[in-house]
Amino acid sequence: MATVTLKGATRFYAGQHTPAVDALDLEVADGEFLVLVGPSGCGKSTTLRMVAGLEGVDEGGIAIGDRDVTDLPPKDRDIAMVFQNYALYPHMTVRENIGFHLRIRREPKALIAERTAEAAQLLDLTEVLDRKPAQLSGGQRQRVAMGRAIVRRPQVFLLDEPLSNLDAKLRVQTRTQIAALQREFAVTTLYVTHDQVEAMTMGDRVAVMNGGVLQQCATPPEIFARPVNLFVASFIGSPAINLLNASAADDTVRGPGFELRLTRAQASSLTGTDVVVGLRPEAWTVGEPGTGVDATIEVVEELGSDQYIYCSTVGGADDPIAVDPSLGMPAADTGLPRPLTVRTQGMAPYARGQRVGLRPDSASAHLFDANTGLRLED
Amino acid sequence: MTAQTPARRAPRRPKPPPGSRRYGPVRIVGMAVVWLFTAFNLLLLYWLVAASFKTPIEIFQQPFGLPLHWFQLGNPMRNYLYAWNEAGFGHAFVVTVLLVGAAAVSVVAVGAPAAYALSRLGVRGHGPLTSFFAIGMGVPFQTVIIPLFVAFSKIDLTNSLFGLYLLYVALSLPFTVFLLTGFFRSLPTELEEQAAIDGASPVRTFVRVMLPLAQGGLVTALIINAIGLWNETLLAIVFLQENAKFTLSRALFTFYGAAQYQSEYGGLIAGVAIVVLPMLVMYIVLARRIIGGLTLGAGK
Amino acid sequence: MTSATLRREREETRTARAGSIGAHQRRRRRIFWPFVGPALLLYVLFLAFPTVSAVVLSFTHWAGAGGTPVFNGLDSYRELFGEEAFYDSFRNTLIFLVVGGVGTFVLAFLFTMVLREMRGNKLIRAILFFPNIVAPVALGIFLGFVFKFNPTKQGLANFLVEKIGLPPLKFLQPEHVTWVVVGALIWASAGFYITILMAAVDRIPAYLYEDADIAGASPFQKFRHVTLPLTWDVIGIAGVLWTIHAIKIFELVFVLAGPGTYSPPISTWSLGLYVYDRSFGAGGTPQYGVVCACGVVMILLVSLFVLALRRLMRREAIEY
Repeated sequence: MATVTLKGATRFYAGQHTPAVDALDLEVADGEFLVLVGPSGCGKSTTLRMVAGLEGVDEGGIAIGDRDVTDLPPKDRDIAMVFQNYALYPHMTVRENIGFHLRIRREPKALIAERTAEAAQLLDLTEVLDRKPAQLSGGQRQRVAMGRAIVRRPQVFLLDEPLSNLDAKLRVQTRTQIAALQREFAVTTLYVTHDQVEAMTMGDRVAVMNGGVLQQCATPPEIFARPVNLFVASFIGSPAINLLNASAADDTVRGPGFELRLTRAQASSLTGTDVVVGLRPEAWTVGEPGTGVDATIEVVEELGSDQYIYCSTVGGADDPIAVDPSLGMPAADTGLPRPLTVRTQGMAPYARGQRVGLRPDSASAHLFDANTGLRLED
Repeated sequence: MTAQTPARRAPRRPKPPPGSRRYGPVRIVGMAVVWLFTAFNLLLLYWLVAASFKTPIEIFQQPFGLPLHWFQLGNPMRNYLYAWNEAGFGHAFVVTVLLVGAAAVSVVAVGAPAAYALSRLGVRGHGPLTSFFAIGMGVPFQTVIIPLFVAFSKIDLTNSLFGLYLLYVALSLPFTVFLLTGFFRSLPTELEEQAAIDGASPVRTFVRVMLPLAQGGLVTALIINAIGLWNETLLAIVFLQENAKFTLSRALFTFYGAAQYQSEYGGLIAGVAIVVLPMLVMYIVLARRIIGGLTLGAGK
Repeated sequence: MTSATLRREREETRTARAGSIGAHQRRRRRIFWPFVGPALLLYVLFLAFPTVSAVVLSFTHWAGAGGTPVFNGLDSYRELFGEEAFYDSFRNTLIFLVVGGVGTFVLAFLFTMVLREMRGNKLIRAILFFPNIVAPVALGIFLGFVFKFNPTKQGLANFLVEKIGLPPLKFLQPEHVTWVVVGALIWASAGFYITILMAAVDRIPAYLYEDADIAGASPFQKFRHVTLPLTWDVIGIAGVLWTIHAIKIFELVFVLAGPGTYSPPISTWSLGLYVYDRSFGAGGTPQYGVVCACGVVMILLVSLFVLALRRLMRREAIEY
């Protein structure tokens, strides 16, 4: 049983009053691929390093399986880690790099050779076994780092942004390889990234962090369809969700150019009358001006399969439309109209300057309490 | 699943990673040895400074105590005055400052253009030529002493500060050129190209653009050469015969024999202090430069 | 500068990049000789040429500045190798070189590994570095005081030795003084090499050590598999510097082992001292041919060690 459990795990950095990781409760099931995602500085790498034993745990505890490993050094935790910059030993060959951990543990030479060959074949490194890291491409180096982790046959894999140094195409390729490998080995894996696409495509579950605090831990569909707060809603999904200020009265939410129904459950959890309405780009229908929200098309992004139109809304500085999503919580608008992002069919005949009416799909609308940032459950 | 509680926690020293041997037994012993060694060095320094104010008896019989005798007699600087006047250290000090200053500046003045030309102008054969300079570092002075001495005696420069000056400059060139080529090589090329596009002549480019950029390296070369020449003794012994022309280390060398004979230990240790303390002062002021410059070379 | 000239210059620079030398490069290269000339002149005149002369003179017999050198083939070398003083000097120099070198490096490495994670390590490093910039003359005289043996005026060392109840030692006796010099050498040089080694070790990225931690490496294993290989080339450079330094040792021995005015006893000599005594020493007629032969031997010794070191250290450059 190789579960990873963090209970109230907290980490302070020297001289800082706010913890880098704040009372984190997380459980990774045996064989699960859990992705830790969040913006830079959110504490995801620190969390990973705490699990690895490279950072001390100031409060709370960490358990692997049913062993409490909080005070155990990394070597006793039976983990393997792939670093962001691979941490390959520049003076050793690929073969020696892969076998390094086993060599340190004084495993028999035959075993080391066998496992190294196996890993090399799996990762397509057999031809470069006698080269040094400096002579390898970025993708090959990444695979060597993976190989070194694999031969350990650990209970837990820890991966720290392993794809961030690769170019875009290679990243997509390697993504599927890593996911396939993990499924084959069925090893519990904790994977850190700042790329939400990686998170959504690779993880069995995704844990979103911000400012050291866990925001939500759920399956990708759940995170996408039922984000627990403004931050998660705006972090996940690309292009980002559109957030609009609205106000609630009785059972209606009035937005700039549309109205939505407010259920009793939602109304009761509301702490005020300010509501933020979240509508993803695909939750709009584009129609004639005068229907829905009045908007003017500023930019048309043609991707072939899809088209994204960025619209500015008609209205002066005193009825701002969208809220700054990067803050996660509603903030005072600067008065500049922000574009609404709408997805339409590829090759649609929209043009810059065109005036349109945008109708939101009420079934796909997310309602958030403007004061707490929490989503209102219906 | 959100934990938005703004808990008030006292900041404290974060725990080190588990299992780190920050204070394991081997490390403790190692740290103790290091501190001991350091304390030992400081002790010796204290001993030197204190001894330079003591009488011979105090030096040997109360090495750790504070100087007393001369202070009581109201003549605390007696040893220094003796060294300065009787043993000629005062004069030697002036000579050394001038000689070393002139030589160090000259070496850098001659070596910097050469280093620049060798590292940046891409002339064919610059590699071998640079190596040619560099291997000069490996030639022990003792090897060239006789030919130089003979040559100098033919042109009557065997007792001349000017002759010594020339030797100091020439023999410091290998190291200086070596240090500065490495340094120049690490500077960005864009500025030179920009200067050329702006119409600056190559000499102008060197003086106005490269030299200011290389300031750090030049100062480091200056300091390291100054220290080395301040301490240089062999050439001074061979090429200076008149007391009036002695450098400090030369004077110390000669004084040593005389002082032993006269048991003039106080003056002798004061002489040592006069040679050492200026370097100490310069070192305290410029330690980072000196150490930084050397590690720069080591990185090549 | 007219726009036409600027344009031409730019075109020429572009052609230069295409392979041939443009006017820009030509102009730059014209300053090569004026820039390098003075340095080259001084260097050749005062170092390169005298070195060659020394080699030539080593094949002559010459009794001083009064006479003229007389070619005598390898006689000077034979005379050199026949002298007991030479063997003593050679032996002592080797002791300084090898024992001093190993001692200094071991000490420097140990200190580096301990210092890395100590607070105040910059200050400590600065304090340990200081003896390196003290003039060898001054250092020698200073240590002469420390190691003095004289029943009425014991030096600091004997002062402490007597304090703990042991009989005082004659540190500077010819039999022992070479080892005192080695000790002094190690003590004075350690700081310099600690500094260089620390700079090299600092360049090793921390994540390599972290991976080693995950692998479960002991401190010794970390040293052997990570630290040592990745500082190997700096060790080589340091070794070369040490060799050059150790061959020249002169003042330290002269002052510690001798009375100050005359040369110390022959058994304590280093090669540097041998050269000095045989050319400017108080005894006998100078023998410049023999002295030059010794000088040549010294250069050969340096070259030998440097080549051996480079052989030992040779490896492809490490890129991180």
